[in-house]
Amino acid sequence: MFQRLAESFLAAGALCLASAAHARAVAYRGATIYPITGGVVENGTLVVEGGRIVAVGADAKVPAGAEVVDLSGKVVMPGIVDSHAHYGNVPIPMVPANQDGNEGSGPIQPDLSAIDAIDPDDPGLAFARAGGITTANIMPGSGNVMGGQTAYVKLRGRTVEEMLVRKDGISGGMKMANGENPKRVYGSRGEAPVTRMAEMSLARKIFVKAQEYRKMWESYRANPKGDAPARDLGLEAIGEILDGKRIVHHHTHRADDAIRAMDLAREFHFRIVLHHVTEGWKIAAEIARRKVPCSIIVIDSPGGKHEAADFKFETGGILERAGAKVAIHTDYWINDARFILREAALAVQHGMSEAEALRALTLNGAEMLDLGSRVGSLEPGKDADFIVLSGHPFSVYTHVLQTYIEGEKVFDRSQPRDLRYSTGGFAVWNRYPSAKGGGQ
Amino acid sequence: MSAPVRALATIALLAAAPASAETLVVRAETLYTMGTAGTISDGAVVIRDGKVAAVGKAGSFPIPPGAREIRGKVAAPGLIDAHTVLGLSGLFNDQADQDASEKTGPVQPDLRAQDGFNPEEGLLRFALEHGTTTVLTGPGSANLVGGQAAIYKTDAALGDAMLVKAGAAMIYHLGESSKATYAEKRKAPTTRMAEAALIRKSFQEAMTYEAKKKANAAKREKERKPLETDAAAEAVLKVLHGEMPAMITANRESDIDTALRLVREFKLTAWLAGAADGYLARERIKASGLPVLVGPVMERPGALEMKNVSLENAALLVAAGVPVAFQTGEEGYVPKSRAILWDAAIAAANGLGAERTLRALTADAAKILGIADRVGSLSPGKDGDVLVTDADPFEYRTHVTAVLCGGRVSFERR
Repeated sequence: MFQRLAESFLAAGALCLASAAHARAVAYRGATIYPITGGVVENGTLVVEGGRIVAVGADAKVPAGAEVVDLSGKVVMPGIVDSHAHYGNVPIPMVPANQDGNEGSGPIQPDLSAIDAIDPDDPGLAFARAGGITTANIMPGSGNVMGGQTAYVKLRGRTVEEMLVRKDGISGGMKMANGENPKRVYGSRGEAPVTRMAEMSLARKIFVKAQEYRKMWESYRANPKGDAPARDLGLEAIGEILDGKRIVHHHTHRADDAIRAMDLAREFHFRIVLHHVTEGWKIAAEIARRKVPCSIIVIDSPGGKHEAADFKFETGGILERAGAKVAIHTDYWINDARFILREAALAVQHGMSEAEALRALTLNGAEMLDLGSRVGSLEPGKDADFIVLSGHPFSVYTHVLQTYIEGEKVFDRSQPRDLRYSTGGFAVWNRYPSAKGGGQ
Repeated sequence: MSAPVRALATIALLAAAPASAETLVVRAETLYTMGTAGTISDGAVVIRDGKVAAVGKAGSFPIPPGAREIRGKVAAPGLIDAHTVLGLSGLFNDQADQDASEKTGPVQPDLRAQDGFNPEEGLLRFALEHGTTTVLTGPGSANLVGGQAAIYKTDAALGDAMLVKAGAAMIYHLGESSKATYAEKRKAPTTRMAEAALIRKSFQEAMTYEAKKKANAAKREKERKPLETDAAAEAVLKVLHGEMPAMITANRESDIDTALRLVREFKLTAWLAGAADGYLARERIKASGLPVLVGPVMERPGALEMKNVSLENAALLVAAGVPVAFQTGEEGYVPKSRAILWDAAIAAANGLGAERTLRALTADAAKILGIADRVGSLSPGKDGDVLVTDADPFEYRTHVTAVLCGGRVSFERR
């Protein structure tokens, strides 16, 4: 109850702030616009008011009195949705003092939340904005079978509360992992899970326990006599998974591990998004048949561990052609948040269509976070989250020039401090040499 | 050489021989020779017996009959990764395939890359398929003095001919990495002070050894006593005598200054590697005359000493007049490696420009590493190492369509 109240209070506050900042409409004109849910618009106009998109298109009507911003020669697309990231909860510098991603004290941690570890001052969040990311799923690490609740955030705000994006009272999913990582963390201490068998066993046990817990409460509510049962916040979070309100974001690499994760979801009837899916190219038809969305990573080379050795740049294209829904994520810091467009471009180099790669950076990821109605495309009524690029989204020579969240500019490459998040050198921006040709 | 090894070597030679015998012609709309022939539009390069036989405008010289032609939009010399752990630090990142870091002592000058190098390593093949034909590889970053690097061609089919140069550099690492290795073991170095002190000590001990060896040589021979050759000291002496360059990885500005101090003190022939803060120390580096092996360009600024790393580092160093090559360095987890083509592309797009970046990856790298007589340009007599692409080599959506290494077609995109 308190949470709901706080939520509506915050939402009202945020709206007041937003409307104060954007009393006036702004029309961004002249850019090549990629709305995602429609064809490319040349010389298009994007109209923003009150933090929302009010019109988009070649002949979008510009309201009287609107401020007009010329973006001729530039490219506009929705803010990127990074469906799997660790900026904020594994801040720079990545020293043990800052490691708040993996709670290594036990393999099942449903009551933990990434919300309680996010540092809004992490430079990693500024890198993400410089890379064009506006919405992210910040997750606990993959060292646990169930690592904790994830946080769906916009990359703005002074506090984590201001960053959170809530829908129906839920502001995140649940991180799960199988394969090598939990085995490595606990196996090295001689604790379970030492094998994949124990990983599955631990996962099943906690879901069964959550089912029983839910039944117990149902029975108490039906007949509330005597003392109420003791509450277990972790099992309640899993209850939200069983109710279909909280999505399981499941780290998985090897094909058999991906199948096992999907089987678990079928066994307990929960919604799942597969993450990384390194060997997805081997089982693309099966993934498509089961209609399980895949949030994939495009890394710079195969390897680093056995389960990543069969990595292929072709995975995105193969999943696309099989009919599976694909998003592309950074898994920052595995991939630098400034280079998420590059990941999609490399998927295109290896056979993914440009249109689907753009969707994989935006709307598909948003849908995997249940946020498809708010972000991920440029449509009237949606949040005014968009980025301005200097050229084609998939050219190495293109720079992200500006990043907007709900109409507010949160990154501007023409500002010296912002520029040094884009190029690097943010901590020495005031003694950074002037770069010839390094600009826009 | 044992009998089976000798037999294998013979088989490798036999296997390589027919491929090298094939005469190849690479024809490209734009041919960057990086040599005296400059950049040629509609250029051709003829490769025979593993070497460049002719280069010029297509049609300006006879193509040998029966030559196999490979066409592309762009062709350039095969790329040089100036510092990696390829072949020693394997794909699986498992103890079983990790032979780069001998974590039993911080000073290991007698270790040699050749004794850990696996020609069949998967990541080496990955690099080859992305245009890397030559690598300087060797011991990793765990130790202060890692050992001796070697320069290799990347195509395992070349057999013994993969080795271009042994003892190509002595590997030094200043800063966080060796501290991290030995702090755990409560052994020196646990501070930067001890790092510099241990390097100085290694040089002093080698000099003492040399003096003693000279003084005792006649006596020992007379007394028929063994010379007590110290392989580690002998290797360090090569560095002191300028016969083997010191490759010093230093990222934080203060570590770069420590490197420059040691170079001055011991009058070393040296290269700086990594050099994340290089752009901040560019005037001092320029004054030192040292070249810099920049990279990886996409290094993530996670470690404290990497905090200031900039995508513009190479551009700013070049603008200051510092000779620059690129390295992919060492990655510890995922991604386990990087393609130098893709990594340097980020420098190209951040101030350095495509053509200048290509030169750093080829001719400039060859000059810095001392192998310009073999690689780095497409001029008659040079190795038949060619990168062929279907557009601007640095663009994300461009494909490497063929790679020639040592005069063989090592890779062709289907």
